Amino acid sequence: MTKYGLFLTMPSKISTCGTLRMIYLNKNISKNADENIDLDEWKSVVLSGLEKEAFEKASPEEEPNIAAIKEYIDMSRRLGKAAPENITEEQLKRLIEYSSVSSRNRYLAFLASKEMRKNAEKEKKKKQQEERDELRKTIDNEDLTPKSRLFRAIWDSSMDVVYNWKAAQAMSFGQPLVFDMDFNDMSEREMQNTVNQMMECEGANRKAVEPFHLYYCNLKEDGPYHKEFLKRYGDAWNNLFVTATEKSYVELFPRDQIVYLTSDSPNVMETFDHNKIYIIGSLVDKSIRKGVSLARAKRLKLATAQLPLERYFHWKSGAKVLTLDQMIMILLTLKNTGNWKEALEFVPKRKHEGFLDPSLQHFIHRQKNRKMSEQNFKKKLLVEELSKKRLWNGLWEE
Amino acid sequence: MPLTLTFLPTKQNFTAVYRRFTSTTLCRWAESIDPKAFHPEMKIKDSSMMKKKTGKDRFLPKPFSAFAAGSSKMRAICNTNNAVANDSSSRLNIVSPPDTPLSAKEWEKLKEEYQHFKKFENVMFESMITNHSPVEVAKSLLVAMAKRDGDIEYNYLVMYLAICVFHKDIEEIYDIYNIMKAKYKSLEASAYSLLIKGLSGSPHWKETLVLLEKVKKVSFHSKQNYGDCIEGALLNQERNLAFELFHEMVAENLTPALTTVKLFFDFCQPVKEDHLKNKCTNILYYLRDHQIYPDESLMLSIKQWFESRQCPSCGHLLEDINLSEEEFINVKEKIKRDVIEGTDVFRNTSPQELERFQRFVNEHPPFDVVIDGLNVAKTTLRNPSSKTLLDVVFYLAQKYHRLLVLGRRHMLKHSFQWRKSDMDVMQKKADFFFTDNMSKDDPFLLYATFHSGGHCMIVTRDLLRDHKAVLSDSVTRRLFFKWQRGHQMVVSSYIPGKILTFEDALPYDTIVQTDGNTWHIPYDDNLSNRASFEIPVKWLCLQKK
Repeated sequence: MTKYGLFLTMPSKISTCGTLRMIYLNKNISKNADENIDLDEWKSVVLSGLEKEAFEKASPEEEPNIAAIKEYIDMSRRLGKAAPENITEEQLKRLIEYSSVSSRNRYLAFLASKEMRKNAEKEKKKKQQEERDELRKTIDNEDLTPKSRLFRAIWDSSMDVVYNWKAAQAMSFGQPLVFDMDFNDMSEREMQNTVNQMMECEGANRKAVEPFHLYYCNLKEDGPYHKEFLKRYGDAWNNLFVTATEKSYVELFPRDQIVYLTSDSPNVMETFDHNKIYIIGSLVDKSIRKGVSLARAKRLKLATAQLPLERYFHWKSGAKVLTLDQMIMILLTLKNTGNWKEALEFVPKRKHEGFLDPSLQHFIHRQKNRKMSEQNFKKKLLVEELSKKRLWNGLWEE
Repeated sequence: MPLTLTFLPTKQNFTAVYRRFTSTTLCRWAESIDPKAFHPEMKIKDSSMMKKKTGKDRFLPKPFSAFAAGSSKMRAICNTNNAVANDSSSRLNIVSPPDTPLSAKEWEKLKEEYQHFKKFENVMFESMITNHSPVEVAKSLLVAMAKRDGDIEYNYLVMYLAICVFHKDIEEIYDIYNIMKAKYKSLEASAYSLLIKGLSGSPHWKETLVLLEKVKKVSFHSKQNYGDCIEGALLNQERNLAFELFHEMVAENLTPALTTVKLFFDFCQPVKEDHLKNKCTNILYYLRDHQIYPDESLMLSIKQWFESRQCPSCGHLLEDINLSEEEFINVKEKIKRDVIEGTDVFRNTSPQELERFQRFVNEHPPFDVVIDGLNVAKTTLRNPSSKTLLDVVFYLAQKYHRLLVLGRRHMLKHSFQWRKSDMDVMQKKADFFFTDNMSKDDPFLLYATFHSGGHCMIVTRDLLRDHKAVLSDSVTRRLFFKWQRGHQMVVSSYIPGKILTFEDALPYDTIVQTDGNTWHIPYDDNLSNRASFEIPVKWLCLQKK
C-alpha cells in the first residue's frame, strides 16, 4: 500500500485556491447563463461559516476504525439509505465482521427497521397515554355508581391458572408431540426465529381444548438452543409444562409408533392417528436445505409422513415447508376435530388458491383424462401393429 | 490482419483453413451449428416402426444443445407456450424538469404546483438525473435551495454530482469535491465512486488514488472504482501504475470488468515496449485461468492490438479438453466427498446402498458409457419410457463396449411406462444398477463415471448444475465444468422409430489459449445471452507469420 505514498504526501491545495477559482469560474459561466441568476451562489453560501478543512488524510495502514465507520453510516443516512441513527459498539463489531458490501447493507437495513419499529411503538404508547388521561378527566367528572355483577373481572392471571391446569393434565395423560432440537448448524438469526416459533407453539398448545404433551428432545444443556430459551423465557423456563430432555425420542418411545413429519417424505399423511407420536424438526432454514430431516429419519429408520397439501389445495407458490406454529395449529385442530379443511386453514392463504375437496369431480376428472390418454395411446399402437399383420404377442396384458 | 473464425465441431471435421489476403481484413463468423448436420441419422432396424406418417408431424424434435451460449434461453422460450414479454415497466416520470435555469422565485412556484410530494427537491433531482438535464438547471435549483435554507444537504450534493459526472463537467466536479472536503469528515461509497469516476479523466486524476484508499478504509472497494482509477492512469500515460492497480485488484479477488481489460489493449497499443506487451499477454493468461470470455468489443480491441504484429491463416489444433491426471483425481475426490457424502450421507442415499454400489462398481471392469436411465427415458412423452431407453441403449451399444444404466427400483415393476420385456432385452446389452426410490441417482452417475476413468462418457440431459454448486471451491467447479463439457453426451432430438441424434461431447476446450505463435480467444457476441453454465461459440483466431 505504500506505493502511493508519493501521492498521499502531496499537499493538496484547497481552501484559498478554491475560492479564487470560483470567482474565475463565475465569470465564465455567467456569460452564457441567465443574467439575473448567479448560478454559483450556492457554493459561497455553503462554504460561508466553514473555515477549516474537515476532510482527513487517509492512512492506509490503519485498521478500519470505529469512528470512520460511524461517520460512514451517518453519511449513508444523509443520502437516504436505510441505516440506523444510533448504533451500539456490539452492533458495530458485528457490522465490521461482515465481509461484503451487501451483507453489511442488509444488516444496516435490519437495524434501521428495528429502530423505526421501536420509535413507532414509543409514539403509539405516548398517544395512548394521552388518550387515557383525557378519558380519566371525563370519567372523573361523572358520578360513579357501582353496578351489580356476577363475576369479578377475569384477569389474565386467572386464565393462566386454568391453562396451566390443563397443561398439567396433558403432561400426565396427553398425547406426546416431539420437537427435535438436534439441528445445530443454523445461523444466529435462524436460531432466534426458531425459538420465537417454539414459544408461539407452546402458547398455542396451552390454549388448546386438549393440549399435547410437548417434548423438547435432544435439547443440549447450555447449548445454543437452551441459552436462547433462557434468554427469552427467563425464570418462566423452569415453570413450563413441557418435558425438556437431552435424550433422543428413540430412547423415550417405541420406534414403531414414531412418525417423523417432513415435507420431503414420500408418504402422505391420510388421517391423524391418536396412538402415534409425531415428531416435528425444529429447524428454520432460510436457505432451503432439502432433505435434512428426512435424512435424519432415514438414519434412525423411522416412519415419515408429509401433510396432504397437494391433495387439498391448488398450490400456488412458495415452499411446502410450514413454520412450527402453523404445524402445531394444524395438528391440534386435527386432533380435536379430525377435519382436514378446518386444520389446513392455518396454511398461509398466499400459498394456495383455495381448498378443494378431494372427492370433487376435478380430481377424478384428471385421473380419467390420464387413463384415457394412455388407452388411446395403446389403441394407436395396437392398430399399427395389427395393420402390419403381425401376431399379437401379449405385451399389453392387463 | 485477416482473421478466420472457425467453429470446430469434431476432431475429424477439423481442417486447416489457409487463406491469403492482400490487404483487407476479414472476419468470418462461426455459424451456430445445427446439431443435425453433424450427427448421422439413426435408423432403427425394426421395420415395423418405419411407417410413414401422413400429414404434418406436429411434434418436431427440439434440438437440445447443452453448452452453446444462449441455448438455455432458447429452451426456456420453447418450453413456455407463450414467450414471456420483457416486462420493463419503467417508473413514470411524474415530474418533468425545466429546460432552462430558473430563479429562486420560479422554483418556489414550481414547488407549489407539486405540493403533494413530501420531498419535492428530491423527486426533482431524481428526474433530472434520469432525463440528463443540463448542469445549469440543476445548479439553479441548488442556488434556490441555498438561498432558502442557507445550506445544502448532502444527498442533494451527491445527486448534483451525479449530474455533473454524467456531463463530464470537470471544473464543477472538482469544486464539489473541495466543498465536500471542507464540509464533511468522510463520505460514503456512492459519493466516492462518483468522485473517482468524475476525476479520473481530469488533470486531478491523482486524487482518485487518495479517494480509493479512503473507500477501503470504511467500506469495500469495487471493480468499478478500480476500473475508473485504471482509466485515469492510462489516460495520463501512467501505464505501469495502471498495471499495478490491475494486479492489486486481482489480488483482492475482484474480477475486472471487461471494459477495464479493454482499456489496456486500447492504450498499450502505440507503445513498442516489450515488457508492456508481456503484461498485456499476462492479462490474456489471467482470462484463461479464470475462464472469462471477452465480449465483442473487447475482442475487436484485442484483434487490433495484435494487428500490428500478427497475421492470419490457421489450422491449429485446439487444446484438448481432457483433464490432467492430477486434476482428474482432485475432481474425483471432491465429487465423492461433497456430492455423494456431503453433510449427511442419508440425504442422498444410505451407507448400505453406497457400499452396495461401490461393490458393484469394483466387481465390474471400467465402463465406457454411463447412462442416466430415468433422464433419457423421459426424453419424449410419445413413447413408453422403457422403449425410449431401449432405443438409446441399442444405439450406444453399437458404438461402445461396456454400458452402465442407472435407474431406480420402480423401473423394475412392470407397468405401462416400464415394460418388463424391454427391460429384459436391455439387460443383455448393458449392466444395470437400481437405487432405492428415495435416493438420488445423479451422485451415483457421477461416481460411476469418474470411477471408470477419463475415457468414460456420461449420457444425460441434466446440466448437473446443482452438483457443480455443491463443490467446495471454485477451481474444482471450473474443472468439473470442463470435464462435463468433454464427457457429457446429450440426446438432442428423438422421434420414436425415425430419428435419434446425439450431441457429442466437445473434443476441444473453449478457453483463451496460446501455443506461442497463435492465440485462440473465444468471445461472446452481443446477441446471445450466455448463461453461466454455457460457453461461447465464436472464436477469434490470431497467428504470427
